[in-house]
Amino acid sequence: MTTTYLAARNLEEALAGLDRGAKVLAGGTDLMVHVRRARLYGAGLPEHFVDVTGIPDLNRIDLDTDKPFLGAAVTFRRLETDEAVARQCPLLAQAAATVGSLQIRTLATVGGNVANASPAADGLTALTALGARAAIASVNGVRHLSLAELITAPNTTRLLPGELIVGFELDRPPEGSVQRFHKIGRRRAVVIARMNLALSMDREMTDPRLVLGACFPSPRRLTEVERLLASETPGPNVWKEAGKMAAEQFVNACGWRASAPYKVPAVANLVFRTLESTWAELGVTE
Amino acid sequence: MNLIFTLNGTLTSLPDVPSHATLLSILRDRLGFLGTKEGCGVGECGACTVLLDGEPVNSCLTAAWKAAGREVLTIEGLAPADGLHPVQEAFIESGAIQCGFCTPGMILSAYALLKRTARPDVEEIKTALAGNLCRCTGYKQIVDAVQAAAAKMDRNHDNDVSGG
Repeated sequence: MTTTYLAARNLEEALAGLDRGAKVLAGGTDLMVHVRRARLYGAGLPEHFVDVTGIPDLNRIDLDTDKPFLGAAVTFRRLETDEAVARQCPLLAQAAATVGSLQIRTLATVGGNVANASPAADGLTALTALGARAAIASVNGVRHLSLAELITAPNTTRLLPGELIVGFELDRPPEGSVQRFHKIGRRRAVVIARMNLALSMDREMTDPRLVLGACFPSPRRLTEVERLLASETPGPNVWKEAGKMAAEQFVNACGWRASAPYKVPAVANLVFRTLESTWAELGVTE
Repeated sequence: MNLIFTLNGTLTSLPDVPSHATLLSILRDRLGFLGTKEGCGVGECGACTVLLDGEPVNSCLTAAWKAAGREVLTIEGLAPADGLHPVQEAFIESGAIQCGFCTPGMILSAYALLKRTARPDVEEIKTALAGNLCRCTGYKQIVDAVQAAAAKMDRNHDNDVSGG
């Protein structure tokens, strides 16, 4: 059987290959697990791959502009170590550092994290807090979808055959924002999140962002909590109310499942503590 | 088209590599480099760790064709012809080897760490080795070994500088 592996040098080459029915290969840390399973159980193996990790557009990190852009093939290792990411989107750097192991982070890409659309994807929680809009290309042109539009269910997206995520347009957080990413898992490293959270806020609560992941079909902005933060006088009472609201949203979305007795207080406390410590870091004296 | 890459410093050309082959499978099954182990096969255990252009990757998750035009280092390529690499010596001297299955991956992760950070602290070592599971030796000896290796490599480096 003839198989093909196209290491695309540019977007046109990649899109032409995808148009002919080839499969997108980025880091491969999810895809190669599926390939292995297919091999073990005698299912059909994908024959034609387009490796998109060598395409310059997909490796672009352009954050010091009014329209920040992050290429889809940027690896978590690069996010973890890049100076501009640490400065402009620290929650993304913090999230990247918690993904898998160093070996995984060296391969795995942020675009792959989104396309795989795991409810527990750390990159997805971080990107949602940054208001990411995916730029999606095919031979027919480019379209843009918010992550909420793109991801319809766990591990399910609106990506069509022949389409490729080129990268993400990000919001520019208000000046003076402090960002945080936290993750709760069964151990400290190489762990899938049982819960993760991304927060960005400034002293004036100009545009607070609070995203909770691994608690919904896909990471979700808690917009009611964000409105509460923006409207009330900041302080412990508001943090507590925010935690309570977040926990309620989790139960409303997922029902009272077996993990709820653990997750409900964990959500409430994670939100409370993250707000409390982030507010302290903003250096506001009351 | 042949898959051409540098394996342990030697230019290597391999015909008929399917698109879905893993780097691990060609190293072991096609080229006979059995020092790279397959543990879990899904990127959890790190037994298959090799260095791709100096960076540790799980070869079980790496498409073989990703190696094209790049440098792959396996445990076979670490030691000089006439002996062991200081990291290998340190692992033996510190009792950081028991069954040895995790050791090639563990040593390559440690080597990559020491290449970028000459004297890592314990936290840095733990972070660098978090993707390498050991089920029998115990991590204390392994962390000790990496620290001992750092001291050895630092000393060797000083000797080189002084012309020794």
